Amino acid sequence: MPSLLEAQRAFGAAILEGGGPAAMAVYRGNVFGNWAGALAGAYPVVRRIVGEEYFEALARRYARAHPSASGDLNEYGEALARFLAEDDDVQDLPYLPDVARLEWLAHRAYFAAEAAPFEPARAAEARLAPACGLLAAHWPAAAIWNAHQPGGDPGAVNLGAGAELVLVHRPAWRAEALALGAGDYRFLERLLAGAGLGAALEGALAAEPGFDPATALARWVPMGVITQ
Amino acid sequence: MLRLGAGIGLRARHYPEFLGAARPAAGWLEVHGENYFGAGGLDRHALERVRRDYPVSLHGVGLGLGSVEGLDEAHAARLKALVARVEPVFVSEHLCWGALAGRHFNDLLPLPFTREALDLVAARVEWLQDLLGRRILVENVSAYVACEEPDAPGMGEGEFLAALARRSGCGLLLDVNNLYVNQANLGRDALAQMNALRPGSVEEIHLAGHTAGPHGLVDTHSARVCDEVWKLYDAALERFGPVPTLVEWDADLPELAVLLEEAGKAGARMEARHALAA
Repeated sequence: MPSLLEAQRAFGAAILEGGGPAAMAVYRGNVFGNWAGALAGAYPVVRRIVGEEYFEALARRYARAHPSASGDLNEYGEALARFLAEDDDVQDLPYLPDVARLEWLAHRAYFAAEAAPFEPARAAEARLAPACGLLAAHWPAAAIWNAHQPGGDPGAVNLGAGAELVLVHRPAWRAEALALGAGDYRFLERLLAGAGLGAALEGALAAEPGFDPATALARWVPMGVITQ
Repeated sequence: MLRLGAGIGLRARHYPEFLGAARPAAGWLEVHGENYFGAGGLDRHALERVRRDYPVSLHGVGLGLGSVEGLDEAHAARLKALVARVEPVFVSEHLCWGALAGRHFNDLLPLPFTREALDLVAARVEWLQDLLGRRILVENVSAYVACEEPDAPGMGEGEFLAALARRSGCGLLLDVNNLYVNQANLGRDALAQMNALRPGSVEEIHLAGHTAGPHGLVDTHSARVCDEVWKLYDAALERFGPVPTLVEWDADLPELAVLLEEAGKAGARMEARHALAA
């Protein structure tokens, strides 16, 4: 009789590579279906861009290339942007990896902790809200992403608009994406890296000489982007 | 035995009803623990809110107690933190495995009912109970292929669950639909499995719908509870008493009213049984 470990390895191989009794098809369907469902949940815009049918095939290829590393399916799919960048099959959609990067930030934002509002008296300990993420995209990723949100018009996106610096944040329960100027991007990026408010503002001035610290604080503090 | 009556699995689509002013008439609620592992956001907000109004149970789907190649300790630690925060009425896991070294399958994969599997799962349950500082319930799963070796049939499913409860001190979460699915797919007599369990060891019951496919019945949680499963449920109430019962629905999730109606049917059967017993 095979050991339990041998039996589990054989079972796993039958899921991934085929073989075993005919009803193993149910497990293959469940397992690949759960992975594809998790990927679709995290990447709804990529799915809309490539279409449902193509996304199913993409999900199968991704599952083989990037084994699920957690029993929590909400963790599944982190490497999709990397996978898309290396996948010969989607090179006609070169902006897809940037969209995937943005979607993963939005996915993470959904589960992120809330933070206490900014207090001027404790400005030295100010930090970016845990839900915030930054992305230096080669393509207009926020414009593409926003055009695929309810009420958006995907046909109106100008793909030639060029690179975009993007902030993903979560004002209420759902993530939002904004294109930033160079100064704001450097400012928030420095805060995210753990720099103090003063050092972050200096960084922003270096990146964009016309950057105005007062305007930046008046924008990001009420939005809950800068917190304690 | 806790007298919670009949509850439903809470899913994100029904948050608006539960976060609104009206308090939907469910005896209690159960959620998949993994969906609340995040540090914040809407899911945690909803859970914090409903736990004030209802008894809440945390049901794990991703730990894989029977995975030989290690249990994910970080996963268990996240569960521990959530349990400490939510103070659930039950913490439950499945009698299954789900991962090999380097790959999770994210499904409830079946275990053979052998001595080796029993030793492993009993030790894992004890470990988890020590970690959490409380008892857990372990649930029987649906299976689509038999894991037993023809020449070494091992224990029956009921016998295995009974031995696990005895050895580890865990309670059992009896999924009546899973017993029915396994009877249909694998010829395991559902009533015989139930009768192998000690009255008092079953602390929660799950009910759900399944679908028929080319390879037998699949536990899809996508339909109403079928008549045969209701009959088995009556037999379970007869044997185990008015055990807290939960209606699960995941795929093709209908309006909340449909779930509450199914839970209402379970509650009525429980009441009928209780009245008879009184």
